[in-house]
Amino acid sequence: MSTIRQTRSFLQPKVLARLAAIPLFARRPMQGSVSGRHQSPHRGSSVEFAEYREYVAGDDPRRMDWRAYGRTDRFYVKEFEADTNLRCWLVLDTSGSMDFGSRGVAKLEYARRIAGSLGYLAVEQGDAVGLTCVAGGAMRHVPPRRNPAHLSAVFDVLEQTRAKGETPLPAALHELAETAAQRALVIILSDFFIEPDELRSCFEHLRFRKHDVAAFHLLDPLELSFEFRRPMRFLDMEGGAPVFAEPNAIAERYHAALGRYLEQVKQVVLESGVDYHRVNIEEDYERVLSRFLIQRSRKRGAR
Amino acid sequence: MSFLQPMLLAGLALAALPIIIHLINQRRYQTIRWGAMMFLLAANRMSRGFARIRQWLILLFRVLAVACLVFVIARPLASGWMGLAAAGRADTTIVLIDRSPSMRQQDSAAGQSKLAAGRRQLAEALGRLPSSRWVLIESASNKPRELESPRSLEHLPETEPSGASADLPAMLQAAHDYIVANQSGRTEIWFLSDLRANDWNAADARWEALRNAFAAFPQGLRFHLLAYPRAAADNVSVRLTGIRHRTTADGGELLVSLRLSRPEETPTPASVPIQFEIEGARSVVNAELAGTEYELREHRIPLGPREERGWGRVSIPADANLADNEFFFAFDPAETRRTAIVADDPAVGEALRLAASIPADPGEHSSAEVIGLDQASTIDWEKTALVLWQAPLPAGETAARLESFVDRGGQAIFFPPLQPGDAELFAASWRAWTTLDDSAAVDSWRHDQDLLANTQSGMSLPVGQFELRNICGLSGEFTPLASLRGGAPLVARAPTPRGGAYFCCTTPAPRDSNLASDGVVLYVAVQRALAAGAAAIGGARQMVAGQFDSAAAANGGGWQATRPASRRRMPASRASMPATTRWWP
Repeated sequence: MSTIRQTRSFLQPKVLARLAAIPLFARRPMQGSVSGRHQSPHRGSSVEFAEYREYVAGDDPRRMDWRAYGRTDRFYVKEFEADTNLRCWLVLDTSGSMDFGSRGVAKLEYARRIAGSLGYLAVEQGDAVGLTCVAGGAMRHVPPRRNPAHLSAVFDVLEQTRAKGETPLPAALHELAETAAQRALVIILSDFFIEPDELRSCFEHLRFRKHDVAAFHLLDPLELSFEFRRPMRFLDMEGGAPVFAEPNAIAERYHAALGRYLEQVKQVVLESGVDYHRVNIEEDYERVLSRFLIQRSRKRGAR
Repeated sequence: MSFLQPMLLAGLALAALPIIIHLINQRRYQTIRWGAMMFLLAANRMSRGFARIRQWLILLFRVLAVACLVFVIARPLASGWMGLAAAGRADTTIVLIDRSPSMRQQDSAAGQSKLAAGRRQLAEALGRLPSSRWVLIESASNKPRELESPRSLEHLPETEPSGASADLPAMLQAAHDYIVANQSGRTEIWFLSDLRANDWNAADARWEALRNAFAAFPQGLRFHLLAYPRAAADNVSVRLTGIRHRTTADGGELLVSLRLSRPEETPTPASVPIQFEIEGARSVVNAELAGTEYELREHRIPLGPREERGWGRVSIPADANLADNEFFFAFDPAETRRTAIVADDPAVGEALRLAASIPADPGEHSSAEVIGLDQASTIDWEKTALVLWQAPLPAGETAARLESFVDRGGQAIFFPPLQPGDAELFAASWRAWTTLDDSAAVDSWRHDQDLLANTQSGMSLPVGQFELRNICGLSGEFTPLASLRGGAPLVARAPTPRGGAYFCCTTPAPRDSNLASDGVVLYVAVQRALAAGAAAIGGARQMVAGQFDSAAAANGGGWQATRPASRRRMPASRASMPATTRWWP
């Protein structure tokens, strides 16, 4: 908590205090530089037994299990799980459509709260946090560091970012998959208003690079219900041509298109193993985060 | 196609309402910044095809719905092939039933009376035809009456036989008035009648007006006739044509004229015993009916010394139709035929007095009195049969009395005064005198009826031999009985519901015409008017039993049954009959 020296609009200390009780786990082994809470692909010296292995020349004789030798007259080396830290990449979609919010809170603000809270929780448990803000034509990268002072820089970027332009999210995710040197927990916060097939290639790319991908799909309640009483002129927040429509006349087809899209997204995340969370931004972000953390705690150990 | 309420078609402008609402709705849009454009664009792409057409179709159907509503409220009426195609349920079905006595004739095929068979057939036929309303107009009252169902035709007392003759034009007029008053839609009119000429009265002027009135109806009218025209060949009917009381040395006698008729001639003459019943005393005369008609003229029936007035009955034996086998009458001693002559020219007054005071029959008594205009108030209007008026047309109380006199059946003939004024009576008034150069100026006259009709032997009156010197003009509403060359009237009749008001445009004075010197026409015309006036004021009058009299009904009178229904009906009118005349035994 000592890292929050100034008040951030998207952080609520009481919420953070409650969420701190639940650790943030990765679903995959991570390759960290120091000891931490997460599984490592390598054997280490933690207290958690992993397996017996036959002794080979060069092994440290101190790790031999003499009791096993007594029972089997063979030399076995006892191995333990290694705990390490992780790199948490927060990918924030800052396209124009993220500025939409019918209940007073825009999707970008909601994403800030989730990103800021997860960043804080990660740093608190010794993990490194990086941030990528994807906006039309420009991306801001903050590389992952586990230094608490670094968190302040992440918060500054979060605070300064504005929703603008189109959504170059697929390109950004491909780039991240290529540039991230080591396995990371990639948390994407976006409304994913892109074709599901493009999402599929991004997620498969990240999975191929052995990243643990979590996605928060942020949707406004009005986008889901599409309830209007009058004819509307819809101005594209990402710069496209405006559309004049009679909502009552096209509501049925709108819901059909939305339902088909959500079904396709669900299929994509199932096939690519993405930890997918569809979030109605009317819901309290604390509940969303606690559900996210608890599910990950249950799945800990899955490789 | 036409409409009952064409003004409501202006409401078709309301059909534009859905379009206006649509346009207004389009104008009051809101603008919103929207993120999920991909779904919106997908929805719009989907709406380009059938969905967009559906939008326009919905708008079109809304417009059509409003238009159809207005169209229906305007009550369209289809005729021609459209009417046939759309023919279905009639809005109103009007049943006109002829209840006249002739409908009681037994129908040989049905084994029952024509009326009963017709009612049954009507009820069966109408029961199968859908209609929203059924209306009955029967010949006794000519009043529309709504029925619950056609089946009730068989049981209603209003469809039972009646003693009165039917007036088909009046019944159709009642049907016409009902259609106008209720704004009926498609109407069907059913007649049940035996097509008796007496009931239909084909020469009646009302038929033309009715034909035009029904043709003017925009809705489809259909007429159906359920007719029983075939009369029983052996049915003989008796009809009294005249009854006259004459005083003789022995006391008195009745001169009865009657006519027997039957529909078809038979090879052998039929012997019909005609029974007369005078105050209970019966006598029989055998008539040999060789052709279709037999006429008995002035058959003398002596009366007792005290039988000055009374009732009588003529009957023939029962045949196919019981209703035309007997005829009732009343008789009374003929009163003196009084004529009041108001003349401002003594020569004219004298000529008229001679024409009015000499009776055509020695058994009759006539009297005529010439008075001046200032003595007109002394006329005994109740006992006067004819008024001959050669003076300025009266005004005020005298005019009112004259109109009342004519209205109760009296006759009046007006001759032009020496100084025609501006006064108007019976919607006519005298104009200035003109002198004629051509003395034989009469061009045409009505020789088929009224004062100048031909004699009973068929000879025409010598109206064309008039020598007219001075003619007084006449203006107003009248029917010319004789006209001069050029169309000016010589003798005209004013339209009056009862009685007669005639205008003669010259006077019997020698300076004006030879009406007096060649006095046949004047005498005949005056005597005919006198006879008609006397018939209206006589102690006994022949009336059609059961016939509806609106004036009597308005005064609380009218025909009433004097016996229970189980006995023979003998209706009488207390309001119109003298108290001394008995009509029933």
